[in-house]
Amino acid sequence: MGIGTVAIKRGVNAIVLIGIVTVINFFLFRVMPGDPTAMMISPRMTHETRRIILHKFGLDRPLHVQFLRYIQQLLKGDLGISFIYQRPVLDLIVERIPNTVLLLLSSFIITVILSIITGLVAAWRRGSKIDISLIVFGLTLHALPIFWLGGLLILYFSVQLDLFPVIGISTPWLEHPNMFSYVADVLHHLFLPMMTLGVGNIGSLFLITRNSLLDVFSEDYVMTVRAIGVPNRTILFRNVLRNAMLPLVTIIMMRLGFIIGGAVTTETVFSWPGVGLLIFRSVMQEDYPVLQGVFIIITISAVLANFLAEVIYGYLDPRVRYE
Amino acid sequence: MLDVQNLKTYFTTRGGAVKAVDDVSLQLDKGDALGLAGESGCGKTTTALTIMHLLPSNAEVLSGKILFGDVDLLTIDEERLRKEFRWKRMSMIFQGAMNALNPVFRVGDQIRQAILTHEDIAKASAWERVEELFSLVGINPDRARDYPHEFSGGMKQRAIIAMSLACNPDLVIADEPVTALDVIVQAQILELMRSLREKLGLSMIMITHDLSVIADTCNKAAIMYAGKIVERADIVAIFKHPEHPYTQGLIANFPSISGEKKGFEPISGSPPNLISPPAGCRFHPRCPYAEEICRKEEPEIVEIKRGHFVACHPKK
Amino acid sequence: MQRIKLKGYEKSIRKFWGQYMESKLGLLGLSILLFFIFISAFAEVLAPFPVGPMQGDRKAILKPPSSKYVLGTDELGRDMLSIIIHGGRVSLTIGSLATLMTALIGTLIGVSAGYFGGRTEELLMRFTDVLLVIPGLPLMIVLASILGATFWNMIFVIGILGWTGTARVLRAQVLSLKEKPFIESARAIGASDARIIGRHILPNVLPLIVAQMVLRVGSSILSASSLSFLGLGDPTHLSWGMTLHYAFSVGALFSNFYWYLLTPGFCITLVVLAFTFVGYALDQIVNPRIRRR
Repeated sequence: MGIGTVAIKRGVNAIVLIGIVTVINFFLFRVMPGDPTAMMISPRMTHETRRIILHKFGLDRPLHVQFLRYIQQLLKGDLGISFIYQRPVLDLIVERIPNTVLLLLSSFIITVILSIITGLVAAWRRGSKIDISLIVFGLTLHALPIFWLGGLLILYFSVQLDLFPVIGISTPWLEHPNMFSYVADVLHHLFLPMMTLGVGNIGSLFLITRNSLLDVFSEDYVMTVRAIGVPNRTILFRNVLRNAMLPLVTIIMMRLGFIIGGAVTTETVFSWPGVGLLIFRSVMQEDYPVLQGVFIIITISAVLANFLAEVIYGYLDPRVRYE
Repeated sequence: MLDVQNLKTYFTTRGGAVKAVDDVSLQLDKGDALGLAGESGCGKTTTALTIMHLLPSNAEVLSGKILFGDVDLLTIDEERLRKEFRWKRMSMIFQGAMNALNPVFRVGDQIRQAILTHEDIAKASAWERVEELFSLVGINPDRARDYPHEFSGGMKQRAIIAMSLACNPDLVIADEPVTALDVIVQAQILELMRSLREKLGLSMIMITHDLSVIADTCNKAAIMYAGKIVERADIVAIFKHPEHPYTQGLIANFPSISGEKKGFEPISGSPPNLISPPAGCRFHPRCPYAEEICRKEEPEIVEIKRGHFVACHPKK
Repeated sequence: MQRIKLKGYEKSIRKFWGQYMESKLGLLGLSILLFFIFISAFAEVLAPFPVGPMQGDRKAILKPPSSKYVLGTDELGRDMLSIIIHGGRVSLTIGSLATLMTALIGTLIGVSAGYFGGRTEELLMRFTDVLLVIPGLPLMIVLASILGATFWNMIFVIGILGWTGTARVLRAQVLSLKEKPFIESARAIGASDARIIGRHILPNVLPLIVAQMVLRVGSSILSASSLSFLGLGDPTHLSWGMTLHYAFSVGALFSNFYWYLLTPGFCITLVVLAFTFVGYALDQIVNPRIRRR
């Protein structure tokens, strides 16, 4: 056995999950109390128009026929048309994905780096004042609503100190002479939302890192390398870190949904034009095709991210490969 | 080669100071195999950890000397200890060696790391050494690429032994190396250790509560009780003429196939609390020969015959 | 003088309380919680001003804190302090009821999976896994939009999605309990499954359920505040999250209405922290895992 088999097993699992999720998505939007077709066709249209469109989209057909159509459309990449924007949902989503990915990735890097550093410091100086303050700090971060943290940062750094722009991804009226200035502008706008998500998600990751490190420190194999005379720094970075990081991967896997949720509210606070803001707008405007489309895309991404994490875990922990 | 003098290692706990090693002295000449025997908790492992300088943070060495050759290990600085002594002159096989291997790295890599820590050679040459070590301990060298969970218990033990020999040490301390193994594998491992000792001219300290293991592999023995050495002699003397009542109790319960049938006479009572051990001789509550003086005065360790040391008040 | 004999469970309650008192964090959390519960219960009496939508002071719209309005006013001229006091009741109720629902579902699924094993267990655990992968908040958003933004819908939406952790923990606990001799002897005597579960298993997992619940109230409150902030809360029941929603929509961020933003979020954090402390203290006492490092 090896990593390949793990990948295949988990991959099959992922595909099954995607299938299940697609079915759920289909039925979810048809359970609306009242008129289920309000999901597909804007209730703002006249009765006649609705009847015509209902027929055109096959929404007056039996459920299983609708389901097949739904699958067909999904495979073609047709996620419907937005009520409000009158454009294909897929286009709307695709435009915004890069912004969300930028935000998620940058904040994720910050979260992981900060969690590992603080976890290391806390575990190394277990029981000291700094350990205890870090724990309290971590618990508080865990209890904070992330969007509130965003609001606070805006209030202080943008409004009071005027160091950062308040919202958006770039300054609308600014003309950029070159790519460089545009990137700089984006980064300037990225900083606060990135810090909000990055720091806000540290909470449990820090605690898990700390506990995991403490567990590993007391393992026999660590005493062995100490006896061998391996220098402390090498022990930390080579022998300990890999073992201690395993629970971290698992926890990140489990908290993926939570991280995505945080991105939704953070984008809303900062008006960051990503997928999360799209969800917010579509909820406010009752733009159901968009909501449905974004939901299925997010869910499939989550399944894929999970799959990736499982494969990474299989790489890090050889014991998993031999089930 | 190794001269431990009046070693005292205490642990600080909430209940008080645990006198785990209380005035322990040992001597090892080159090529000796010293068996350190005693019940669980009597201080054998702590003695070993003190020699290896691997004590946890709540332990403190209060006094004593550990002379390795002519260097006192307790006074040299950590860097020098690390570079010159660790693994190169002395190595250790830990209790519960099953867990001494890191599960996420290949076994061969871990042994290679030991070699490369002390020798500046090419990675490939180090790997060759690893494979040689594997052959030496009786494992197929190809298995060096495997992970620890793919090894059986006995194989893991052999791998640990191989690791302990990686830098050609002068002294190997083995803490309960065969306790977790079944009897047949035990015999194999002990035989391996015996032959390795001969082949490589190793000195060894074998820590165990099982006297049969000592009988099998050692030429000297030291019996510990409640943090103190109660008797020390060469192996034949210990088994044929044990002087200390505790040793006598241990030997008496040592079954022998050829000897006469006799019932077990367990030593009554239980090991003392090391925070507040009994006054006088620590063994007196359980000793069938205890007298007034035993309750009051701690016996000094005395050389009653050549090379045979006992800590007991002489019978009147 | 008459000797009072303590019944079995009274003794264990005393023992439990004794242990709990040892935890400084637990006591701190508990006092914070009691404070908020008290305020929520007596909101009508304690709030200095009324909070109906028509009862605001038109002449004091969006005013910063003053001697009259200690925490400032909102866009309808209502006193922020009163809004916070009433909001506490809403937030705590939503959190508790949603958690109750989570506990019931989680117990049902966890105990069934652990006790019956086999196909049942596999099916239930697969189901749990699917729910775990789907991102929580987006699913809640979808459900809340479809069902409509009311007080009870929010409780339902949060409750129906939060039970996965509890189910897993309980299943593990039941699995280990199943092996214990007293269960085997009960079965040998011929006790029915229902009886074994009711009389032997449930009482033993009850402490764990309670500890889990306490920890979950915190995350329920956070989910509720996120949903409310996004506009999916019930406008007739002003929770802290909804207050933040209104703060945001009147531009508190741009115009620096800091009083509108600071207090609700601070209260949410404090309450969730308190629940975390209490849950942690309970977990220390109740959890069968004893870790010694």
